[in-house]
Amino acid sequence: MEKQIKRKKKHLTLRQKDQLKGLFFVAPFIIGIALFFAYPIGLSIRLAFGKVENIVGFQVAFVGIENFKRAFLVDTNFIPLFLQTVGNTLLKFPLTVVFSLIIAIMLNRKIVCRGLFRVIFFIPFLLGAGVVMNQLRALGVDREVLSIMDGKIIPYNILNYFGGDIVTAVQKVFGIIVQVLWDSGVQILLFLSGLQSISPALYEAAKIDGATEWEIFWKITIPMISPMMLLNIIYTLVNTFVDYDNQMLGYIDTWGFGNAEFGYGAALGWIYFAFVGLLMAIVFGVMKGYMHTNEVEEVKKRGRKSRKVFTIERTKKRSY
Amino acid sequence: MAARAEKSLQSKEPKNVATNEQEFSKFKYYLKRARQYFTSASRIKQLILKIAMYVFLIGLAFVFVYPFLFMIITSLKSNADLGNYAVKWIPTRLQFENYSIALEFMKYGQYFKNTMIVTVLATLGHVVACSFIGYGFARFNFPFKKLLFGCVMLAFIVPIQTLIVPMYLTYAKFGWRNTYLPLIVPTFFGFGLRGGLFIFLFRQFYLTLPRDLENAARIDGCGFLQTYLRIVFPLGQSTMVVATVLSVVWHFNDDYEPSMYIDKAQMGFLPPRIGYIVGLANSPPEVLYETMEMLGLDDDTLNDAVIMASAALICAPVILFFAFAQRLFMEGIERSGITGE
Repeated sequence: MEKQIKRKKKHLTLRQKDQLKGLFFVAPFIIGIALFFAYPIGLSIRLAFGKVENIVGFQVAFVGIENFKRAFLVDTNFIPLFLQTVGNTLLKFPLTVVFSLIIAIMLNRKIVCRGLFRVIFFIPFLLGAGVVMNQLRALGVDREVLSIMDGKIIPYNILNYFGGDIVTAVQKVFGIIVQVLWDSGVQILLFLSGLQSISPALYEAAKIDGATEWEIFWKITIPMISPMMLLNIIYTLVNTFVDYDNQMLGYIDTWGFGNAEFGYGAALGWIYFAFVGLLMAIVFGVMKGYMHTNEVEEVKKRGRKSRKVFTIERTKKRSY
Repeated sequence: MAARAEKSLQSKEPKNVATNEQEFSKFKYYLKRARQYFTSASRIKQLILKIAMYVFLIGLAFVFVYPFLFMIITSLKSNADLGNYAVKWIPTRLQFENYSIALEFMKYGQYFKNTMIVTVLATLGHVVACSFIGYGFARFNFPFKKLLFGCVMLAFIVPIQTLIVPMYLTYAKFGWRNTYLPLIVPTFFGFGLRGGLFIFLFRQFYLTLPRDLENAARIDGCGFLQTYLRIVFPLGQSTMVVATVLSVVWHFNDDYEPSMYIDKAQMGFLPPRIGYIVGLANSPPEVLYETMEMLGLDDDTLNDAVIMASAALICAPVILFFAFAQRLFMEGIERSGITGE
């Protein structure tokens, strides 16, 4: 028996062995899909296209796309809320990525009290992931951080000169900035870990070759953290969509759980999710060409012909 | 003058006969060097840049630390201070009793224990399983890889609110209602609270890891599992710290899923307790009076200060944990010696 297996193994090609190894590593995930994922997703899809007839046995009758029709044609709250959420996300997400990258780069430098600063920049995240921050928001803390209305930062005389509209607008911008900053803890953390995995030798080599800080940033830092950048962009997108102050989710929850209209709730969820998935597919498609990895095959596949791949070798060649 | 100073330094007289005058000129020489050092254009530019950076950092830090300061200071105020608008940042008297009242109201010890059990086990599951799975996705090609990775992204994107009814039914079928199993077991399979994100995180990290180390291990006779356990897993230290921090904070603060699967009060977690206190404080006066009477307290003990004190107590473990973990975070990379070539 043993010999047979051995002989069988010998027949496996290198590629097949590789495949088996890969499957071995992914096996827990496959089991997980079977146990915790396939059934809920399947049931949720069935619910979206159906209607619960009997709550006891959870019997679902197929009603076609009625739920979706209802969302777009009948429900007057859904579309405005949806557009508002999308606008909100598209505004916040570039700000979050840029701010967090700047902060992460500063935190990665040799500054005084680095540890203290690191803890400080994560405090809103540590507070913010739960009910504590909601409590603080209820007391109006987020509005008074950068408040110019009370005349502490800028005196009243100057504010009067500008007029109410401008002050309110500036106040609104400040409010958004505060919210973005408070929400960027995870992104800072991810960028920081990406920055730390860049070997100092690369920077040293660039300096010896006479690169300026600006060039080093664009030609070493950005390509080297591009995998983290992808992760960060995706995370930011998803997070702003499943945020605690996102009314859309609350709305889905009210239908799906509160009003016990499971079918309609599921349909709303899937419409919402389809949009997020689409956005993400676009991000993946755009980022894929620009990502620096150590995947030899991938670089070989497109590195020679398409010029998109950002590898260290390429940037070096270019600078000579 | 300067020339003399330099000459005096360069002169080859033995140093032990240094006179007063020589000492003086030496001092002048250093002074000159110092002046040169500080007035050269590039130095000034650097200095200004540095000052600008610190001003920016401290300004940002203020925005970030504001909610925390607000929480701590409010939690130490007495009733009189809370009503007084003139008292904003410095309370007239530090009332530490707020904390003991909050501890008592929340039954801190019991709920803290519950939260810790789930947080520690779930975090362990996430780190071990997601590192393993992420490595598979990053290194090997196998059939249905794209489909499976699509599932990872799906698990990450689909908000739990969409799936909560089927999830509940699934766990009910397993007989896991009113246990911590629905929160712990899925994490060991790469699911659970944002499990997809962690798989993705580890995959992105392993993609940047050079293959040379693994190839070297293979030449030295390591099997693939041994390579993973001895080479790859330890190298992921910095990512592991990130994953641990995120997982701990999210599990500690999560209150949506637990509230769905667990309805026994004594099995509950710490964060929702603040909701309990707020609810009690906002309850009709006669109910509040009755409750307070039972506990033998004045009915105006429950105020914003106590609420903030309980908020501070809830955050305290996470903040302490992070203060400790960020030190590991700094060491991580220096030890691992990865070269990104």
